[in-house]
Amino acid sequence: MTAIAFAPHSTQARRRRIAGVVYRDLAAMRRSPIRVFEILFWPVIELVVWGYVTLFLQANKVPFIVSMLLGAVLLWQVLHRASNEVSIGFLEDVWSRNLINLHVTPVTPGEYVTGLILFSLIKIAGGLAVMVTLAYVLYGFGLFSVGIGLIPFMAVLLVLGWALALVAISAVLRFGEGAQVIAWSLVFVLQPIAGVFYPVSVLPEPLQWLADAVPASHVFEGMRAVLGGAPVPWDTLALAAGLDVGYVAVALWLYTATLRHARSKGRLSRFGE
Amino acid sequence: MAILEAQSLTKRFGPVQAVDGVSLTVGQGEITGLLGPNGAGKSTTLHMLLGLVTPDSGGVTMFGLDLQKHRTEVLSRVNFSASYLGLPGVLHVREVLNSFARLYGLRDPRARVAEVAELLEIGPLLKRRTSDLSSGQHTRVQLGKALLNDPELLILDEPTAALDPDAGERIRNLLVSVARETGTALLITSHNMREVERMCDTIHFLAAGRIVASGSAAELAAHFGVVDLEEVFLKVAREGVPA
Repeated sequence: MTAIAFAPHSTQARRRRIAGVVYRDLAAMRRSPIRVFEILFWPVIELVVWGYVTLFLQANKVPFIVSMLLGAVLLWQVLHRASNEVSIGFLEDVWSRNLINLHVTPVTPGEYVTGLILFSLIKIAGGLAVMVTLAYVLYGFGLFSVGIGLIPFMAVLLVLGWALALVAISAVLRFGEGAQVIAWSLVFVLQPIAGVFYPVSVLPEPLQWLADAVPASHVFEGMRAVLGGAPVPWDTLALAAGLDVGYVAVALWLYTATLRHARSKGRLSRFGE
Repeated sequence: MAILEAQSLTKRFGPVQAVDGVSLTVGQGEITGLLGPNGAGKSTTLHMLLGLVTPDSGGVTMFGLDLQKHRTEVLSRVNFSASYLGLPGVLHVREVLNSFARLYGLRDPRARVAEVAELLEIGPLLKRRTSDLSSGQHTRVQLGKALLNDPELLILDEPTAALDPDAGERIRNLLVSVARETGTALLITSHNMREVERMCDTIHFLAAGRIVASGSAAELAAHFGVVDLEEVFLKVAREGVPA
């Protein structure tokens, strides 16, 4: 019997371990048509509903820029899926009582989360491709009309979504499976103040201050500006990216602290029961 | 040579002193049993040895490395199996083993999975979903997972609990031959006293979080003035430990 392994701290070993997490999730998706269906179902439903709302508003001569609403739907999906896919990847290990198996492997918490994030990118890319195509076919809206700004807009939302996922995972580690509702709903806490479908300026002043601290609000404001003909607001995007760094730092601290706490209180063991 | 050294491990959960000053050593190729009634602290001890639970005091050294400081190196040379753990139910057995082989950083995961499948006679199960396995088959797959990285220390929490006598016997023989032929050290918990008598070189008896007696099965029986390990267990569980 021989099991030749890469040196535990080598780059190859780290890559192999991260690939192990991605491989596992890809195999699970391949074996479960429901998971593939889920990639498409909610994004398509949202796109169809909001698309027809847009058409209705246009038909009734409500002053409106169609592309802004559809762009918001598409970019919201990026944030929503980035958050949910990572948290669900973690929850699937909880549900299958596999978390202990993972925590006794040499995989570090960072490698595990990296694997979940890489897999989430694959799912987001798949879902987004379908939505972008549908938006173009059904409503003639091309997401790429946002131009080069689309890349940083999406990057800010992806990073924010992953930070929210880490917070949701931390909540489950701290409070147990009962806290999994946070994994589904945390991102929606931001929706009213992020100005997804309306300008932040319509919010009461205190909420506008809060919105300034949410990276997503700068992205959605920026997207509306670009679709309205303005140049990409790089300064605002830089601010959003800076906020993202802060969110990620807090989320990583929270994740590390709750993992340490779970080990100290024996909560990690209980995920195997 | 000591592969594992645990020194004065203690753990309290609220008012319960789960583990109280447990020290033990496991040498290369040695098979060590950890026995005790329910709630004696066996699983908590194992989980501290695996880094799943942080001890309140005391420390764990494996291969001369501190577990807390060298987690990745240590865990790449150890493995664990327990009858109560699950596996991703939607995956085929081959996919589960392939993913764990990657998580252990193996260079050729597929070849290793084939080797382990042959060793544990789980080849016919490779194309089945783990959710469709019987509990005995599930245990064998868990053991397959535990052998993937050719561990130098294998920690097993009730390894044959869900197996029928025939399958249990085969797994016991396999585990003993792994220990004897490859020098893998085994640390097992079990409620099957005959199994422990047959397999273990050294047995630590836990009660109320403390090791109350250690030695071979014969030494323990002599210590408690009974004929076998089963009676040792009953004596400690029913009468407590003589001061």
